[in-house]
Amino acid sequence: MHEIAYHAPETLAEAMRLLAESGGAAQPLAGGTDLVLQLERGADPARVAVDLKRIPELQGTRSHGGGWRFGALVRMAELERDAALRAACPALVAAAGFVGGPPIRNRATLAGNICNASPAADTSPALLALGATVDCAGPGGTRTLPLGDFWQGPGQTVLTPGELVTGISLPAPPGRSGNAFARLTRSAMDIALINAAAQVTLDERGHFSDARLALGACGPTVFLVAGLTEALAGHPWNEETRAAAMGMARDAARPIDDVRASADYRRDMAGVLAARCLAQAIGHATGEPAAGKRDRP
Amino acid sequence: MKTPLTLTINGETVEALVEPRTTLLTFLREQCGLTGPKRGCEEGECGCCAVLLDGELVDSCLILALEAQGHAVSTVEALAGPTTGGQPALSPLQQAFVEAGAAQCGFCTPGMLMAATTLLEQDSTPDELTVRRALSGNLCRCTGYDRIVRAVQLAAELRHGGTQQGRTP
Repeated sequence: MHEIAYHAPETLAEAMRLLAESGGAAQPLAGGTDLVLQLERGADPARVAVDLKRIPELQGTRSHGGGWRFGALVRMAELERDAALRAACPALVAAAGFVGGPPIRNRATLAGNICNASPAADTSPALLALGATVDCAGPGGTRTLPLGDFWQGPGQTVLTPGELVTGISLPAPPGRSGNAFARLTRSAMDIALINAAAQVTLDERGHFSDARLALGACGPTVFLVAGLTEALAGHPWNEETRAAAMGMARDAARPIDDVRASADYRRDMAGVLAARCLAQAIGHATGEPAAGKRDRP
Repeated sequence: MKTPLTLTINGETVEALVEPRTTLLTFLREQCGLTGPKRGCEEGECGCCAVLLDGELVDSCLILALEAQGHAVSTVEALAGPTTGGQPALSPLQQAFVEAGAAQCGFCTPGMLMAATTLLEQDSTPDELTVRRALSGNLCRCTGYDRIVRAVQLAAELRHGGTQQGRTP
């Protein structure tokens, strides 16, 4: 690892001053599970690490009006332990539980996971399906972005030099809605071959009124399958709609061949995971758990 | 530039000067002489560098030593009691690892012991799946895990003064 400077400011204002002063040579440090590794390998040119962990206003989860706000320092292990969040947003809690092993989840943060901008990040499809927004603060002021506008490509976000994520918010889930996460992998510690998350909203007959499906490791960024609500609205979950959703997921997937899986396999599995997590999301909405496979290593 | 660092390691206050780039693992091994945490993958995959930070299991290879400023670190060296007659007084968990034959080459053992320590603090009678999930951030290339899982459950039983019956891994 090259020489670095380390700062541990106690206020957000001080952190922002340090980040702005360094002219792009500084990186905010939260859990460090990605950044410390990148610093060690020389993959990150940062010369200054600004540790955020002593800043009280970036800590903790708040629930308000059925929605949630996660400070930038909220860790995967905290999400896993949150029983109210598990009941309302099982997609996010399940996704957090797949990140690395317990020692990683005790450090890795939700905000860090989206800032690392891996197309295979497990919490990303869950946050996207749940309609997350990202609060950012930088030299130019503060802004809040829909998560879908936050990523630009693998490892790339819209954050400008000196800008950091201060928190992530989820809106209150609509009535008669449910959500779920699914993932394919070989073992507990491995990165997802592909992953997916769904949020569905049902009408009084139990037919779809809204359906959102996010796919991960199926393109340069995690994305929502376009047109799914239009295709499913007004219809019940049956063989026909299941086949339609699977086809749309396969068509939307633009995966790559790599060491973990072939593009063809990933495209095929995008359909399988689409069906699996839509069924589970409907089960969550209706209180009747979907039968079938649990994606638990 | 070396920076002052004060933290608690295995119950004792330690003051040192460290380079900011020094990881907690390197600091423990090379500046504190605590070689229990092992240098394995150095990328958070294998868990053999695992220590407790304020009681939570963490990979010390992914933490800068300065991030531990003011915090409490426990390493595997803290588990055994004082040495008498050349023999350290093994903790019940360590004793269970010996009895179950849970170590072969031993490289993963310090991390396994720390992972099992936090598990048994949260769950005094973990079932097999719970043990396997708690150890899922720690790789072992020798044992196939069965004896490690058995050792953790045996340690739980020893704590309760119970027997081994009815708890097959």
